[in-house]
Amino acid sequence: MARSFAHLNVTTAYSAHFGVSWPEELVEVAAADGAQILGCTDRDGLYGMAKHLRACIGQGIAPVVGVNLAVMWDSKYTVDGTLLPAGRVTILAASAANVGVGQAHNLGAGYQALVRLISQAHTQLTRDDRPYILVSQLAAAAGTSPVLHVLVGPGTDVGRLMVQRKYPAGRTRLKLWKQVLPPDSVHVEIVSHLSLPTERLSTSQAVRMLRASDELDLPAVLTNAVRYATPDGAATADVVDAARALSTLDTLTDMQPNGQGWLKTGDTMHALAYEITHEAGLGAAAARQLLDNTQQLAERCALDPAQDLGWGQPRVPEFDIIGIDGDPNTVLTQRARAGLALRFGHLDPSTSLYDRVHRRLDHELGIIQDLGFSSYFLTVAEVVEMIEDRNVRVSARGSGASSLVNYALRISHVDPIEHDLIFERFLSQDRSTLPDIDIDVESARRHEIYHAIFDRFGAERTTLMSMQNGYRVRGAVRDAGRALGLEREQVDHLAKKLWRFSASDFRQALEHMPELQTFAAQVQDSRKSGNQQLDLLVDLTERLDRLPRHISMHPCGVILGDTTLLDRTPVEASGMGLAMSQFDKHDMDPMGMLKLDVLGVRMQSTIAYALEEIHRTTGETINLEKVPHDDPATYAMIQTTHTLGCFQIESPGQRELIGKLEPESITDLIIDISLFRPGPMKSDMVRPFLDYRHQLDPAHYPHPDLKPILEETHGVTVFHEQLLRTFHLMTGCGLAAADEFRRRLGSDTQNDVETYFRAKAMENNWDIQVIDEVWNTLAAFGSFGFCKAHGAAFAIPTFESAWLKTHYPAAFMVAVLEHDPGMYPQRLMVAEARRMGIEILPVDINKSTTHMRLERLTETSNIPRHPWGIRLSFETVLGLTHKEKQRIERAQPFDSLADIRDRARLSKKSFENLAQLGALDCIFPATGISRTDVVHHLELLHSPTKRDRTGRTLRTGSPQIDGQQTLPLGDTELETLPALFPEPTEAQRIRTELDLTAIDTTGHLMQSHKPYLDALGATSADHLITLRNHTRVLVAGVRVATQTPPMRSGDRVVFISIDDGTGVIDTSFFAQAQHATGDILFSSRLLLIEGTTRRTGARGITLQALRAWDMHNPALLPDPDYFDTERDHWADWLTRNASLPTIRHQSQLGKPHNTGSHTRVLRYH
Amino acid sequence: MGTLTQSIQVTCTTAGIPLHLNYGGRSYTVKAQPQRWYVRRRWWAEEYRAALGHGPGLVDYQVWRVQVSLTRAANAPMLTLDISHHIESGRWRLVQVHDARRLEEAA
Repeated sequence: MARSFAHLNVTTAYSAHFGVSWPEELVEVAAADGAQILGCTDRDGLYGMAKHLRACIGQGIAPVVGVNLAVMWDSKYTVDGTLLPAGRVTILAASAANVGVGQAHNLGAGYQALVRLISQAHTQLTRDDRPYILVSQLAAAAGTSPVLHVLVGPGTDVGRLMVQRKYPAGRTRLKLWKQVLPPDSVHVEIVSHLSLPTERLSTSQAVRMLRASDELDLPAVLTNAVRYATPDGAATADVVDAARALSTLDTLTDMQPNGQGWLKTGDTMHALAYEITHEAGLGAAAARQLLDNTQQLAERCALDPAQDLGWGQPRVPEFDIIGIDGDPNTVLTQRARAGLALRFGHLDPSTSLYDRVHRRLDHELGIIQDLGFSSYFLTVAEVVEMIEDRNVRVSARGSGASSLVNYALRISHVDPIEHDLIFERFLSQDRSTLPDIDIDVESARRHEIYHAIFDRFGAERTTLMSMQNGYRVRGAVRDAGRALGLEREQVDHLAKKLWRFSASDFRQALEHMPELQTFAAQVQDSRKSGNQQLDLLVDLTERLDRLPRHISMHPCGVILGDTTLLDRTPVEASGMGLAMSQFDKHDMDPMGMLKLDVLGVRMQSTIAYALEEIHRTTGETINLEKVPHDDPATYAMIQTTHTLGCFQIESPGQRELIGKLEPESITDLIIDISLFRPGPMKSDMVRPFLDYRHQLDPAHYPHPDLKPILEETHGVTVFHEQLLRTFHLMTGCGLAAADEFRRRLGSDTQNDVETYFRAKAMENNWDIQVIDEVWNTLAAFGSFGFCKAHGAAFAIPTFESAWLKTHYPAAFMVAVLEHDPGMYPQRLMVAEARRMGIEILPVDINKSTTHMRLERLTETSNIPRHPWGIRLSFETVLGLTHKEKQRIERAQPFDSLADIRDRARLSKKSFENLAQLGALDCIFPATGISRTDVVHHLELLHSPTKRDRTGRTLRTGSPQIDGQQTLPLGDTELETLPALFPEPTEAQRIRTELDLTAIDTTGHLMQSHKPYLDALGATSADHLITLRNHTRVLVAGVRVATQTPPMRSGDRVVFISIDDGTGVIDTSFFAQAQHATGDILFSSRLLLIEGTTRRTGARGITLQALRAWDMHNPALLPDPDYFDTERDHWADWLTRNASLPTIRHQSQLGKPHNTGSHTRVLRYH
Repeated sequence: MGTLTQSIQVTCTTAGIPLHLNYGGRSYTVKAQPQRWYVRRRWWAEEYRAALGHGPGLVDYQVWRVQVSLTRAANAPMLTLDISHHIESGRWRLVQVHDARRLEEAA
């Protein structure tokens, strides 16, 4: 029979750049070998612990939890009184069953001590930012029981001395460990990876450690210092070692001696124990002793998740902290009623609506109280109130908007009565998990709000949630390339072409991605010539896939708990300074942690800034809550599809959809947002919906009784709410049960749902045809439909942003430029503002600030449509430091170069950049000197060897500027400067603007290509709309968006949007066009595209691409007579046209992921 | 001391420990308990592929240090040999003979 072995030193992939195996994988391998206990001891934290626990529970294995930490000897133990590195130890938590509980009844004393120790380590960092603990701190934490067990192994100073064959010194050092740490807490860790006797992790080292433990009467335990589940992981470990050291494999200094750090079987570990003791000259009894010790320690540290960590038991802030005096149910009822009176103050109590609202509130409160969630709602309300008190825009997103209680408490701003939303979709008797209430706030003030939450609830009850950042394909190929010692440039070039596939699919992608054709050929060629590096590059990239690289603060999660929170989760400093938990979102529920989602939304900041600018420039105060949602001008603007900058409806697919849908009301916006999802697109809901809407087809209802439910969407089931009502109407199951059934659609138990539905509907005398038809809709609808409440929560900022763009275009666009809320680069928004007739004012040393600002245009400006222009901020100037910007702003205005030099104290580079951008033009004297003159003048002053402007070296070494220190006179330097150079040409100016601000401010960057494009006969975006369907055209522009949405057919279609200064052109590349375009598909920024027009609606036209060229590569561009030479091919193409794939509608193909996972926005550099 | 890498034939115990080996047409018997190491390979320079699931033997190989004497001449001098075992292919090679002169004498 196989002998089991408890591995106590096991690193998971969550030890960034060290471990390579996932906890689930390790637990599975251990379980398959019959292990009963398995440890998880990540480096510097409990990053993988919750996953380890969950996997262990699943496999019936007892988990051991610990950490691997760097330790320093306190100065009192060292000769020179400085801290001395003691290497790394593994520290295990003793179980509550052995050492009792800590601060709470469901918290083991060992686990609590471990958590606190890790947090302490992260408050003290070495010079290279690594956490450590002092030996004295470790001793104090271990306590006398002891609650922590310390494995002193090969990674410690003792281990190092043993490898160096300094046995007496090693034994003396081990004795010191024994003296300093509490009795029974020290265990000598014996590890052999069977490396060469001179190397670390050799049996020789293990033998010396074993001998020393014996002589000092310390228990020895056996581990394998595991870094990978199977031998196959060893190569991956080599690569992450190189990545950690930013080194090549060839030059890596502390490589693992071999590949033996895997989770060896019980039999192998038993044999190893005998091998080591035999080598030590000891008998079999010694081996048995070693194995017994290991088993005993494992048993002492085997945790019971519920008892030791409070697994699955939620902890929320204490009542008095939330400010509840008395019964939370009573308090919630009072506050909700008071809030309701404010929201519905206009309602006459004698109306039926008044009655309905109150009955709804009582219904919701009843459910909340039955579930015992009153204090949770009060906590969220407390947070929202705190945010509103700070004058920050806030609103709930998601199903939370379904609740009237949330509306009354001002958590949400959607009226669930008006929009007919169902509370049970959010919360019901049948669901007992805490509902998620996600709160959107202004992104620019998110950190301020986090600080306020910490202050309000106390730092001991509050921490930020973290997230793991894993390798994606680009990062993976870069690190793999460096490990192999490939040229950085070569790898970078390749990385840019890798587009949105998982790193683990790299080799597969080589076969069919057209943009990788060249690379695939290189791999082939180098293979033939005996160079294996590119093949290895592909393999190693695949190996790195998804491995965690580092943790960072989650974009929205704040954890609230009671006073024991910091005994339950280790914390470390986040980027913004506040404490951050080592647990991520997957760990929250099992660890009993309450998470609030406070998400920073740039559009909220944009709206707030637009309102501020309106107030600053006109004195007008606008309350958007009071703006009616039926403003015709706003919908007229939306219907033009010029919606760049607006929330949710600016993407290429959305612009196409709104062009067809032509929204006229807030309900239309809700439908639009709900339709633009992968689910509805895939199930082809959009086309019939549009046909019914435009009365091209009569709307169809399975049964007249369903008409009230489905009428708002012309008989097409779009919303979860409609599904719940349909299900309830036909089965009488109640809305709460209907939501439970909805959740099971698309799961393994869908058949049970169908059985129930059919049986109940039959009972209720529904016709079999109706039942069939409705069931087919429900089944197809599956789990992908959209919660109307969510759409409604989104539609409100969508309307508000469109309203601002319609009525306050300059204020809206200045806010868009300030907060960058959307998917496009800033320069496209500048182009859009210009298209709207808003003047863009370049950076000016005296007029710009650190914010984008509206500026009243002077009489002399060209007569624009708007009286306000947008003055670009100093933030747009690349390379200008924060300090420099502050100094400029404080010292404005300036009257001379010397004045700027003395008071703004700019770096040479910043000075020259500002001059080149024309930011200093305002101080030029009227002597006719040009910007170029001043730039040359500055370069001359700044150059170490003085030359005059003709290039001759000057004899006098003293710089000219010395003569004019800080005289407040006119700029004599500039006045005496002869005008030598002409003003830069428009093309030069735009080039400079792009280089230094990434924005073409004074003109569009395509202007310089105009002669060629005219000769070629290219079409501009504003003319495209005038063309007939299927016209063959050439268009050119700057890439502003690239999308590869999920497709119904599974084939990849690439959507590329370009901007040519007159508007945006949306193009689609099918397989053939992708192949014709090849390498540059994702990498080229300036594109010439050939394609045929496709009408998408009254105001919409897009291009189906045939091929594209890189405008930066003139050699490959077509000649001006291209169209003539291609005429024959064109005729061919037309005849074949019918067989080509077409799409009616880009939006049919699905929406890019919210976080942009299918959307990459290219910034122009 | 001589360094060679020649293919040899090795017979092992059920536990995988070398027992006999054939080299230069002669049979040798392992005399003492052999020692074993795993030695790193510069796999990134030596291998053509390192795909996930490549299996053991990519990063290291087994080296046994065995003391042998001629099977048919029990009194012949003992030789110390390092033999490597490539886990993936199961091939054995002679890596090092610690006293090459004696090997020649013995031969």
